[in-house]
Amino acid sequence: MTHIPRVGIGGPVGSGKSMLIERFVPMLAEKGYSVSIISNDVISKEDADRMRANLATDRGLLPENLVIGLATGGCPHTAVREDPSMNLSVIEEMESKHTDLDLIIIESGGDNITTTFSPILADYFIYIIDVAGGDKYPRKGGLGIESCDLLVINKIDLAKMVGADLEIMKQDAEKIRKEKPFEFINCKTDEGVMKVTEHIIHDVLLDCPPKSAMTQKV
Amino acid sequence: MLEINSPEGNIFLDEEFNDLKSGNYERLKISRMELEKRILRRKTDRGTDVGLKLDPGVKLRHGDVIKNGDVKIVVEQLPEKVISVRLKTKNIIDVMILLGHIIGNRHRPISIQKEVILFPIQADSEMDVFTKLFHSIINYIEMTVEDQIFFPHSGADVHEH
Repeated sequence: MTHIPRVGIGGPVGSGKSMLIERFVPMLAEKGYSVSIISNDVISKEDADRMRANLATDRGLLPENLVIGLATGGCPHTAVREDPSMNLSVIEEMESKHTDLDLIIIESGGDNITTTFSPILADYFIYIIDVAGGDKYPRKGGLGIESCDLLVINKIDLAKMVGADLEIMKQDAEKIRKEKPFEFINCKTDEGVMKVTEHIIHDVLLDCPPKSAMTQKV
Repeated sequence: MLEINSPEGNIFLDEEFNDLKSGNYERLKISRMELEKRILRRKTDRGTDVGLKLDPGVKLRHGDVIKNGDVKIVVEQLPEKVISVRLKTKNIIDVMILLGHIIGNRHRPISIQKEVILFPIQADSEMDVFTKLFHSIINYIEMTVEDQIFFPHSGADVHEH
């Protein structure tokens, strides 16, 4: 079966995981990439319903049946790390029925700073935090912040209002992440979101053109 | 970009790469956690852009050799902070069980080398954490921390956090 590249997105409750997806999926679609979304949550499917309504029903960027809500019922990290079987079974079905997909996005339920994805489940891990948690956030580290492939710091428009110094966050992120990348973004205005999209295309899709473009060439 | 689907062999296992034993080769340095990945894009120490897109079931290991035409590139696992625990007195079964239980309870992979148990940590401050966790057996063990390449025991295929 064809392996479709997978991006996992984790971060605390309210950090902007779903919003980030809603912002970068149109950018990927604009470039011709075909994506699907699996949104994990403990008991609710609200985020999946919202993304489906926005991205599929209203804008037609992907089929409605390719936005899937998974109510995992337990600790959010369990479903993406210790026992990713629920997610893997959905992915297996996608990989067999939708071979034209370029990317599968897996959103974790909101969790703590030790969130990581099992490498069996996700090829690339984006950890998102927001400035409202305070400018100490990157400095405090934790497996999510340190080990993710891309650290995203959201809601930079709120920095002044909550007394968060972006320069301190930048210096701390550089120190704790060493050569690994991080990006400041504002999902309300799309500031910085294209950079996230570019990381996905470069690091996960390895700059390959969309499958649909390849098919047309043949 | 140099796309790699599987390695050609391993300098520690395959004689055909004896010419690389001098250590004069291009290196692709990857962390232990990144070695678990199927897709990864990194640059070598000489600037070659490498995109790993590994075939199903293939995992890279320390010492694996990949080829860029005639140029051989060796995958090197990065060192990390590792705690070593040595038992001062051998064969105290209670101490051994508790040690395994406490480390396992923290979801750490382990390695066992000549009666020394090793496990990775993220920061030096975790030395204090484990000193406290081991308080009931602390007089029976010696702990040190150092940067080294950590190879988990194959039976310790655990997630960690």
